[in-house]
Amino acid sequence: MTLLGKVISVNNPYMPYPVRIASVVVDSPDKSLRTFKFEFLDPEDENRFAYLPGQFAELSVPGQGEIPIGIASSPTEKGYVLFTVNRVGQVSSFLHNMKEGDIMGVRGPLGHPYPVEALKGKNIVIIASGFAVTTLRATVVWLLHPDNRPNYGRITFVYGARSPGHLLFKDDWEAWQKRDDIDVYVAIYKMVPGWTGKVGFVPAVLQEICPPAENTAAIICGPPIAIKTTQPVLFEAGYKPDNIIMSLENRMKCGLGICGRCNVGPEYVCKDGPVFTLAQLNELPPEY
Amino acid sequence: MTEYIVKEDALTAFFQAIANGRRLLAPQGQGENCRLEVATGPVSLDYGNTHLSPKATFFPQTEKILAYHKKADQPKYNQYQDLGDHAEPTVIFGIRPCDAKGLAISNKVFQNDRFTDPYWKGKYESALKIGLACLNPSPQCFCAAMGGSPFGEMGLDVLAYPKEKGLGLKPLTPAGEELVKAASLPSADLASEIKDLEKKAIEAQGPLDTYQIINERKIMELYKADHWSATAEPCLGCGVCTFFCPTCHCFDIQDETSEAGGVRMRNWDTCMSPLFTVHGSGHNPRPSKTERVRQRFMHKLKYIPIKQDGVRGCTGCGRCVVMCPANIDIRTVAATMAQASA
Amino acid sequence: MGALETITQKIQDKAKSLLESGQAEVVIGYRKGSTPLVAAPYFARTPSDCENLIWSSFAKLNLANYLPNRTGKVALVAKGCDARSAVGQVTENQIPRDNLYLIGVPCSGLVDPAKVAAKEGRPIQKATETDETITVSGVGFEVEIKKAEVLRRNCEVCSHRSPTMADELTGPEAPAAKPDDFADIKALLAKSPSERLDYFQDLIKDCLRCYACRNACPLCYCPVCFVDETRPQWLGKSTDPMDTMTFHLLRALHCAGRCTACGACETACPVNIKVREFNRVLDKAVQENWSYEPGLTWEQKPPLTVYQPNDPADFIK
Repeated sequence: MTLLGKVISVNNPYMPYPVRIASVVVDSPDKSLRTFKFEFLDPEDENRFAYLPGQFAELSVPGQGEIPIGIASSPTEKGYVLFTVNRVGQVSSFLHNMKEGDIMGVRGPLGHPYPVEALKGKNIVIIASGFAVTTLRATVVWLLHPDNRPNYGRITFVYGARSPGHLLFKDDWEAWQKRDDIDVYVAIYKMVPGWTGKVGFVPAVLQEICPPAENTAAIICGPPIAIKTTQPVLFEAGYKPDNIIMSLENRMKCGLGICGRCNVGPEYVCKDGPVFTLAQLNELPPEY
Repeated sequence: MTEYIVKEDALTAFFQAIANGRRLLAPQGQGENCRLEVATGPVSLDYGNTHLSPKATFFPQTEKILAYHKKADQPKYNQYQDLGDHAEPTVIFGIRPCDAKGLAISNKVFQNDRFTDPYWKGKYESALKIGLACLNPSPQCFCAAMGGSPFGEMGLDVLAYPKEKGLGLKPLTPAGEELVKAASLPSADLASEIKDLEKKAIEAQGPLDTYQIINERKIMELYKADHWSATAEPCLGCGVCTFFCPTCHCFDIQDETSEAGGVRMRNWDTCMSPLFTVHGSGHNPRPSKTERVRQRFMHKLKYIPIKQDGVRGCTGCGRCVVMCPANIDIRTVAATMAQASA
Repeated sequence: MGALETITQKIQDKAKSLLESGQAEVVIGYRKGSTPLVAAPYFARTPSDCENLIWSSFAKLNLANYLPNRTGKVALVAKGCDARSAVGQVTENQIPRDNLYLIGVPCSGLVDPAKVAAKEGRPIQKATETDETITVSGVGFEVEIKKAEVLRRNCEVCSHRSPTMADELTGPEAPAAKPDDFADIKALLAKSPSERLDYFQDLIKDCLRCYACRNACPLCYCPVCFVDETRPQWLGKSTDPMDTMTFHLLRALHCAGRCTACGACETACPVNIKVREFNRVLDKAVQENWSYEPGLTWEQKPPLTVYQPNDPADFIK
């Protein structure tokens, strides 16, 4: 490799941290979802990769390219980072075939986290549909950490997926169900034998249990249709657009607000988002 | 700062003095073939503008940024390594003020409020930029209407202008002052001459239009206007406007592999391509050319001004006006945006 | 009134009557450009729009490019080569014949702005034309140029200046031009393979891969072009000369036996590449092997898109 010009030794935001795949878990019956646990080859990189829930990273597969994926672990979980990857394109398909022990890269953290600092003192209702639960799983883990839990009011977690097999992070939410400092409602869209939880789409479940809007913020993550149908339920309960927080996805490459493809009006989803309030999005073109 | 004069017979010595062992890029060739290139022949002082904008000097169409070995017995296999910023000490003479402004606008994207692109930064900051003001703007020029000037100073270290077959020089930054001083030139007070020439050159461009209206209108008011489908209808969807635009900076990142390893490179990309924004799921936030054309003009005339204190993302260089095969003229589009109702 | 004005008047009249009678929902023609030496695509939808329609020897794009994927009835202002492209699109099932009305323009050849710029070095601010001449002017000059001296090279050699399949002609047939004798192509093909490669490599050395040639071409209507396909990715996206050459070769091969020499590709190219050189090699081959010219009937498909038992096969070794 010939070096041209000056070496970019520090702060090259294009340079991924080398990681080893510590484990791969198949998450869904159709094998379209896998959760990867990565360990940094250089333990110091874990400190450099300082993040908060809601941020994402570029998973960097040599020879294939990069994909932006929300971070599913919480920074309170030490020694590793978690990412759940849906198999849709060239990079994710290749990644799905990689094995424990393989070396690849993680570049980030990128984007802004959920506004956990600004939400201090508030009640929070967290609403997840399908595999978009990942960064919300990170949020709940972070909020329930003893250092953080006292800073927040009532916490409600609503989560729905197609079938029990499509519900991710079962060990986590089953453990949360046993706690008394979080209300957990997990639903599947259609009844199957043996299921004892709620049945119905997320908006319907939310309508049943929606906490009062007073001093409460809602964080929604899910496919566009779920986000769209959840909003009226929140409006009915009295939530205002600046207390409805969402995370957007758009095609991205650099993740740095430079390469230009993920913009929604003047904002870049990668650099200025992916977290926006509904009040912000109401002023922007719906190009997401 | 004072101004300086380069007499006709001192030009060659001047170019040698400012290069001072560095790479000197200057206008080479005439007319449509004029390019900012390593100066091997005589430096042209009489040209409209270079065919391509000078952005490729700092942001090449293809740039290899990282590389890796893929054989497991190689050290650091599958780990990306730095390929350097490809920068070298450079003096550029003859950038037109519209293009220097374009580079300065891109500089705020490449070095934004959160991240610094080291490949751009290395090249942009290792180049001293001497602009060449326009005494006779070309028919397609409209820099003044876009808030610039044929004698614009933004993004330049020195502003030069043709003067009696030589040059007048106005240093604009300490680095520019130092550069000019190194050439031991006679000094002069050229301020009023510059002012007169600038006034004449602006008048030659015709009356100013009311682009200010766009600044005053809300994003969604402009976005929802009913003209966009008709504005976009003739568009062929090629990327000519974006490739020639001095402020277009979009790129794609691609990995290419060989037997031994691979490189990560970036290549110019264009928002005119349907694939630019398409999600892995197949969903496309900008599915038709109406949305894509709207994006381009909104980006230039509304989004960039919002992010850059009112500075428009179009510098009025006129390249897209001349190059668009379907004659979609940003001046006409801007006027339509200012007039159209939502 | 000169031929240009007569044709313009007839286009406007016809367009108005087609829109008023509902025979067309849109008339695709040309308007005056915003810069000199340009006539731009224009979509007339109301009778009053039709006053903007013009005919001009600067009408350089092939408007048949706007036909594929269009629903509803459309009328097209078409010179000889454009009309043949439109006919080709009907035979290739890109637009139903019943949805298409061809307003045919007998064409005397279009002007090449690059040739004008080469002849008159000073910046041109205004250009006007008569049937035989154009007049360009700028700061302190006004010059008259004979059109015959600045025609586009594909217009100098043209086999069908007047549309052969138009629903209506807007004037008497244009005087014929001499068809392409491919003399330069024959000379090129007589050279060694490496000399030919050198020739084509030099031809495309400035290519930016902007794909304006492809996008201006009425034959290039694939939903996703092979250069953009990502799964699998056939072609690198960089400026690697091999990738660039592959694009040009495949583009030309995809057009073999379908190209009507309209020159829109060269018109659109922002770096003045003679992209038609690739096509001309193939035009010659198709004419020699199949005696075929595209777009002259509503039925016959291009020879390389169909199989016939008596197709030449002696090239298969």
